[in-house]
Amino acid sequence: MIFAAASLTDVFTAVATDFEVAHPDIDVKVSFAGSQSLRTQIEQGARPQLFASANARHMDALRRRGLAAEPVIFAYNTMVIVVPAKNPAGITSVEDLPRAERIVLAGEAVPAGSYAERVLLKARSVYGADFASRINASIVSREPNVRAVLQKVVLGEADAAIVYASDARAAGTRVGVISIPRGLNVMASYPIAAVTGASGSPLGQQYMDYLLSTAGAATLERFGFSAARP
Amino acid sequence: MAGLLFAFMVLPVVALWVTLKVDDLLAGIADPRVVPALKLSLVTTFLSLAIIIILGTPLAWLLAQRDGRLTRLVETVVRLPVVMPPAVAGIALLLAFGREGIVGSWLGRIGWSIPFSTAAVVMAQIFVSAPFYLQAAASAFRAIDRDQLIVATTLGASPARVFFRVGLPLCASSLTAGAAMSWARALGEFGATLMFAGNLSGTTQTLTLAVYTTFQSDMRAAQAISLVLVSVAFTLLLVLIFRARGTTEGHP
Repeated sequence: MIFAAASLTDVFTAVATDFEVAHPDIDVKVSFAGSQSLRTQIEQGARPQLFASANARHMDALRRRGLAAEPVIFAYNTMVIVVPAKNPAGITSVEDLPRAERIVLAGEAVPAGSYAERVLLKARSVYGADFASRINASIVSREPNVRAVLQKVVLGEADAAIVYASDARAAGTRVGVISIPRGLNVMASYPIAAVTGASGSPLGQQYMDYLLSTAGAATLERFGFSAARP
Repeated sequence: MAGLLFAFMVLPVVALWVTLKVDDLLAGIADPRVVPALKLSLVTTFLSLAIIIILGTPLAWLLAQRDGRLTRLVETVVRLPVVMPPAVAGIALLLAFGREGIVGSWLGRIGWSIPFSTAAVVMAQIFVSAPFYLQAAASAFRAIDRDQLIVATTLGASPARVFFRVGLPLCASSLTAGAAMSWARALGEFGATLMFAGNLSGTTQTLTLAVYTTFQSDMRAAQAISLVLVSVAFTLLLVLIFRARGTTEGHP
């Protein structure tokens, strides 16, 4: 069993399929949820072989409790603004964000939520306190994982949201994507580590080796991530 | 053997209480999400219950009076939410009342938007909990001796008078029990609320959503909020049960 951040849903499903083709005797099961939720499950006794988190915070928390081995960063991601295909609020840049009547973000403990907060903090220093307070007033929901955030935009319920670039790519033409300039953006990094005390099949190490191989990197890139290696 | 199921059902409830240190409980209750969530849960569940009773009692009365194919069809339809998983209910509500939903897109034209509002919380609760009241009320009304109603009618009572003076008093305790079940289901509503109404402290984050949100980062606080939720539910259920007993004794 592998625990993986919600933003890894499509790419890890593909990597697992490729991995199973290469290792026909191994059946890979992946459980996807917000990294904070997976971390709590591990703290409460779940023992997957691997944990792939969308930020360092939840991985480090497990490290401190001796629940995870030394992590390896395997991918990077950036944040984008997504709007419904019809773009009802007419948003074309970060500066337009206050036009949105309904903004949806991930919860504060969710990695995508804390990355979004950092983007908004940077935007505040450029566009001012009024910009920030108008955005805060428009936040209508704090979702438990980034895919739930994305879905609210796909359904047209939210006028805008901040998600990973890879999520926006997964949604395809169902959403409009507005890139966030480098100066306002943040780099999300994904650590993966073996969970201490998981049952001793070799799956964990083999899956990690595959993920960090050229083939794994190519799949990550295909799904909109930047592979950290090789 | 006989005690096995009982032990299985009691243990988690006991664990909820005994595994939390007092300090953690106090710290958890002090979480800034607790008071708004408690308030929202109480306001929305009682509002839902009031709407269900006001609109549901006449519907249940009608269903109990008639016995045709249409009646049975209506009765089946209003039972559907019971067997509908909450996540499905959430999607169904979005497709009907979301901004691009059947009714929602039309409401949007007059400037109304339901998702992400407290109204959405109430709607999700009504949808999932109304069947419990409707079912209890319909079977209670059906159990009334027809002759009593006929006598009342022949004595010149209007249908409304028959309903309020004969039907309602005879069924008071069953109706209360149905209302209690319905209210408890609304209080526990989670999936449909999360999907249809969202999750924002003070507006749509009910106690169950607060438990879920806190659980993602702080298990102890989540447990403390769970205890608040369970205490509120148990207390109000006890009050309702004693009330129901009182009513039955009052009208033998």
